[in-house]
Amino acid sequence: MKILQNSNFKALSKIAGMKPEEIIEIIKKSGLTGRGGADFPTGLKLEFTRNSKGEKYVIANADEGEPGTFKDKLILEKNPNNIIEGMIIAGYAIGSNKGYLYLRGEYSYLKNKLQKVISNATKIANKLKIYFDIEIISGAGAYVCGDETAIIESIEGNRGNPRIKPPFPANKGLFNKPTLINNVETLANIPLIILDKNWNNNLRLFSLSGNVTKPGVYELESGFSLKKLINLGKPKNNIKAVYFGCSGGCIPYENIKLDSKTIKEKGAMLGSCTIIAIDEKHDLVDIATNIAKFFEYESCGKCTPCREGTMRVLELLEKISLKKAAKKDLDLLEELCRVIASTSLCELGQSSTNHITTALKYFRNEFTDKLK
Amino acid sequence: MSFRDIDEIIKDRKDNLLLPMLEEIQVKFGYVSEANAHYLSRKTGIPFSKIYGVITFYEMLYTEPKGKYIIRICNSPSCYLNGSLNLIKFLASLLKIKSGETTKNKKFSLEIVSCIGCCDKAPAMMINNKIYHNLDEKKIKKIISGLK
Repeated sequence: MKILQNSNFKALSKIAGMKPEEIIEIIKKSGLTGRGGADFPTGLKLEFTRNSKGEKYVIANADEGEPGTFKDKLILEKNPNNIIEGMIIAGYAIGSNKGYLYLRGEYSYLKNKLQKVISNATKIANKLKIYFDIEIISGAGAYVCGDETAIIESIEGNRGNPRIKPPFPANKGLFNKPTLINNVETLANIPLIILDKNWNNNLRLFSLSGNVTKPGVYELESGFSLKKLINLGKPKNNIKAVYFGCSGGCIPYENIKLDSKTIKEKGAMLGSCTIIAIDEKHDLVDIATNIAKFFEYESCGKCTPCREGTMRVLELLEKISLKKAAKKDLDLLEELCRVIASTSLCELGQSSTNHITTALKYFRNEFTDKLK
Repeated sequence: MSFRDIDEIIKDRKDNLLLPMLEEIQVKFGYVSEANAHYLSRKTGIPFSKIYGVITFYEMLYTEPKGKYIIRICNSPSCYLNGSLNLIKFLASLLKIKSGETTKNKKFSLEIVSCIGCCDKAPAMMINNKIYHNLDEKKIKKIISGLK
């Protein structure tokens, strides 16, 4: 895999003599976009933060929590050097000398290893007269802390409640200072971009799991066919649907291109390239209830639509599951989904009903068959 | 009761960041007791209400003592599709506790959790900091009986 090629500080040595603006220009030209799911151009983010005045911070978002996603873990385990090197380069480019790696609590077994990589990397950077300090902050089991402003709140020592944007972190982030926050896969790509003129933004890491016998991380070009990917996973039974994590919604299994635009046209979100395959033995009301439980549990409670809504959604789905619901309950569920999606404060709430909206779009009969 | 350990933790955290301090306290004591939280509040100037709010926000921070082994078993879709629900039932009957409870001898706590990032090795669970994957009933029985 390209992403696992250890850059071994060659990129850091290369940028040591460059102007920060030159580095930002290289990253902008590469076309690198955020791998956390938002696909925002990383070069622009770097530029915005560079243009902000005062003390600045870099945060590596290693709080991968979307169910079905494990590609960041692969990089953290197999090639942590590139993440740290990417952080230092990003810090140098925006004019920051302090970074935090926010590691999800469930990955804390990786902390010691990462600490060693950080010590070694900062020593090498110092020799190149680049002074950048990195500290690992452990998360403590909150899915919402994958949101960039919730991470900031969490590091500051608050409950991980997301902030209202704007202001964006590039202007007012950690301790109200300009802050660059990037997903670890994004950061790990930075050294590769510095070293390789032909670096390709289309390569993505797909986390494939569910009803397949060969689950795993597959590095493929964006636009790869879903059918081919599922075949790589060698499913035992016929696949009926695929879910893009819990928040991305679902689509029926068909021959379709895996790129953000195509998936969006189907009403779902490719996000961080998470593919959960569901075979025909599974009932989608059951899956919807499982996912609704997840959101009800992980809602941070800050805004009403998400806090109350996710709970009522779960109640309604359980009612449908138990065959105690009528048509009016399903209507209410659909209305509730619309309200939660359009009025929640952050992405967690806004995307919490995608899975239901898309399941009802493509597999409505599985729900109506259960009505009284 | 001595608060020396907490003094040390505060001294090491010149930036007064709460989350790492709470985690250090938990590593030392297994949970953050009310007395320790009050002491931390007095020494750092962070209001007790805020400290309590933060502890209870995070799933992995505790206000009550937990078992020696904290079992976190995943029930998110990838594990669920691979039979996690039956394993959770099995584990609960094996330990004779429900999710969120601790055995009387304080050896095991059981928690049903969201995705732990082991979807390619589902079903999976964590016991303290260690991951156990591709689970079935036989494997779980062996793992549990191997914990002293």
